[in-house]
Amino acid sequence: MKRATVFVGMMLVSSILYAEEGEGLRVPMPAKISKAWKSECGSCHMAYPPGLLPGRSWQAIMNGLSNHFGNNASLDKVTEAEIRQFLVYNSADHDVRPLPATAKPTPTPRITETAWFRRAHSEVPSSVFRRQGVGSAANCMACHHAADKGVFAEEDVSIPR
Amino acid sequence: MKATCLTMLLLLATAAQAGPAEQIAGYRSAAQAADPSFKDFSAERGRELYYRKVMKNGKMVSCASCHSQDPRQPGQTPAFRPIGPMATAVNPKRFTDPQKTEKWFRRNCDDVLSRQCTPQEKGDYLTFLSSIR
Repeated sequence: MKRATVFVGMMLVSSILYAEEGEGLRVPMPAKISKAWKSECGSCHMAYPPGLLPGRSWQAIMNGLSNHFGNNASLDKVTEAEIRQFLVYNSADHDVRPLPATAKPTPTPRITETAWFRRAHSEVPSSVFRRQGVGSAANCMACHHAADKGVFAEEDVSIPR
Repeated sequence: MKATCLTMLLLLATAAQAGPAEQIAGYRSAAQAADPSFKDFSAERGRELYYRKVMKNGKMVSCASCHSQDPRQPGQTPAFRPIGPMATAVNPKRFTDPQKTEKWFRRNCDDVLSRQCTPQEKGDYLTFLSSIR
């Protein structure tokens, strides 16, 4: 248990350092991509790479699909289980444990509210995210054109005017 | 040659089975079961449903908000993904998979109307979208 915590801690620290360096930032994409993840998640928004959030956050997101940021994104049981497994097994911390039944319901986790996201975008004023060519911070691909392939390197960024 | 013809006929039959007309027929049975006085679907009622505006989280929303004011044009999700046109005349893939149709009715009726749509509404909607030329 303790070892696992240290390991997770190290992973988090290393990903933060990675983000701060600003170059070569890459979220590893699993070799085997879930088709259901790509098509289901990707029909409403970019299919966000599983490595962008820890396992617990994905569990919380998958537990709340009937009210997914104000929208009904409910799935049939089989598809839901496949996507959940793909996300948690390939999550930032590879934490595959289900959320305990006693866990208090919290607001749906947002990628844009993680510490690393804020740090990586600290130089980007909020007005840039509201630009017509961007829309919101959820639209990774507006600036990171290969974000769907897990590529977030600074040299690949071009911000719409 | 004979075998090819047969295969093609079979393929056509399977494709037709899942098309808008068959899905409308399915909703017709359901609508009749729900309401014995049900007569037929109406493209006009479907049109009204498509453009009906409802207040949601302080905003007026309708099917047309995401699916475009002109159902022959592509739409866009609030999270910036393109949506194929709804009119079957320009998008032959529309309403060819009953499970997909039902999935999106389940989600989007809840999102816009905060309830599930009735079989009559679904049939009206498909009738409207397959009547557009």
